Amino acid sequence: MQAQAVPWQGRYPPGDLAIWIFILAELGAFAAFFGAYAITRMNHVALFNEYQQTLNSTAALFNTFALLTSSYFVVRAVAAIREDDGLSCKRWIWAAIAMGGVFLLIKGFEYAHHIEAGVRLSSNTFYMFYLSLTFFHFMHVIMGMVILAAVAFKAGRGGYSAAEHTGVETGASYWHMVDLVWLILFPLVYVMR
Amino acid sequence: MTNTQTNRWLRPCTAVYLLLMALTLTTWAIGTAGLSGSNITLLVLAFALIKGWLVGDFFMGLRGVRGFWRWPVILWLAIPGGLIAYAFTGG
Repeated sequence: MQAQAVPWQGRYPPGDLAIWIFILAELGAFAAFFGAYAITRMNHVALFNEYQQTLNSTAALFNTFALLTSSYFVVRAVAAIREDDGLSCKRWIWAAIAMGGVFLLIKGFEYAHHIEAGVRLSSNTFYMFYLSLTFFHFMHVIMGMVILAAVAFKAGRGGYSAAEHTGVETGASYWHMVDLVWLILFPLVYVMR
Repeated sequence: MTNTQTNRWLRPCTAVYLLLMALTLTTWAIGTAGLSGSNITLLVLAFALIKGWLVGDFFMGLRGVRGFWRWPVILWLAIPGGLIAYAFTGG
């Protein structure tokens, strides 16, 4: 409980500083993508609004729930290891990975539906942005799951403790970044018109 | 139920998680209802930015960070957020 009562404090964020430099680079790339989407839409408002209707916003809702729940599980994993509870840490991380799997499954069904309907990158400007932006994020989810799996295996071997758990915080920071990006992507692509 | 028990049940991160879920559901409901217009767009965007801030501060642990690293995520939300608001409200 102490980990919850005393938030992280210091000059540097939790985890390895290198991952934060990487996170900033990733966020910069996504910011450019979001900006390009918004600016391009200004000249194609009718097209963007028309084809946005073909997207499954309910699937996106459940995907947002999956990523938020996954992020929450990762927060609990970090809290557990700060309490020196490596077993709980490992279980929370595997639960987070499972929720990442749910995200991939739902998104995979969405992609399958689009491909079946003949949607391609070249179909129109909206689909070009939708497919490239969401697939770029999709790949980050996979990478985040690989990182979390590595952390979970090490946690399972007792590789982390309350005194030394930088690896857990590093993996957690990357995973939260993946969640953070989706929180902007979801309303931007699926809801706002 | 004592205060300690209450706090144990509803950790700050759990409260933030529930708020994030509620804001997400509200965003989806607005979209499903087919609501549109500048005010609705700005409301949905504001929800997204608040959610991003909550994740940054409470999940990523940036709330207690002092100095340079306190700001990148907030700026990442503010700059694209401003651009999106400009583009969606007619420029």
